Amino acid sequence: MALDPHEFMSLMSRRIGFTEHNKSVLQSSEKWGLEIAPDMATVFYDFLGRDEEMNAILNESDGRIHRLRETFVEWFHEMFTGMDNWGNDYADRRWRIGLIHVRVGIGPQHVVPAMAIVNQEASRRLRDAGQPDDLKEALERICMIDLAFIEQAYVEVAAEAVLKETGWSAGLFRRLITSGAAAM
Amino acid sequence: MAINVEKIAGILQNFVNSASDVQGAALVTPDGLPLASTLPSAMDEERVSAMSAAMLSLGERIGSELARGTIERLFVEGQQGYGVLTSCGEDAVFLVLASQRAKQGVLMLEIKRAISELKLALG
Repeated sequence: MALDPHEFMSLMSRRIGFTEHNKSVLQSSEKWGLEIAPDMATVFYDFLGRDEEMNAILNESDGRIHRLRETFVEWFHEMFTGMDNWGNDYADRRWRIGLIHVRVGIGPQHVVPAMAIVNQEASRRLRDAGQPDDLKEALERICMIDLAFIEQAYVEVAAEAVLKETGWSAGLFRRLITSGAAAM
Repeated sequence: MAINVEKIAGILQNFVNSASDVQGAALVTPDGLPLASTLPSAMDEERVSAMSAAMLSLGERIGSELARGTIERLFVEGQQGYGVLTSCGEDAVFLVLASQRAKQGVLMLEIKRAISELKLALG
């Protein structure tokens, strides 16, 4: 059941409709992306810090929030550069980010609102800066791909753990989920 | 060699009809897919198959974790009777349902015989 990040990137790009045009629009605004990234990080962590549970996770150890801010700036900028043109390096890094979210206990219930804030704040800044709609669309699409990686990491890690502990095959696990869901 | 599903179904039917106090039986794959079954009508074959495979696999893991050696069978005892899960080679799991009147020694012997037949039919 282990996920192949490269295949997942291709699949999500196709499903979300992340096009070559979206890529070139993002790359052409890469400097603007880097310019607003630190302020985006501030808005992002201010928002998350208002949630008691998230605040505890963010400040669990000394310097974590500082490191997270730096990571956010890199992450946000990479959505514009695409690293290796949204290839395998990009996919591997998104998968690692997903796994880190699972490890530190940031679940889908936190990630989805957090990504909504990124979208909302980015949209506001795009509008204020008079940026074209093309860029808004491209950024929304890559945000959704990144969100899919984090969400999928949860499913994959949870499933892997169950399979490891029970010895069940992936097919049997899927069957139990299907029959269990049907009985709910 | 192709699996003779009709023959397997026949073995199960014969087992349920002839073995004392047996109420149903099913042969399923380790992935939880039904190969053949003769179950009480209220039971969902797909669900029972998935649960049987899951339980035997989990039982084997527990057996290993608790250092109990190779697991011969899983035995579920309820107020309404028994459920017995036995591995039938690498490719199948055998589930037997019996009433509370069943004599355990006889039941185990009958299951053992049925498994020998089923293994031959599975090839």
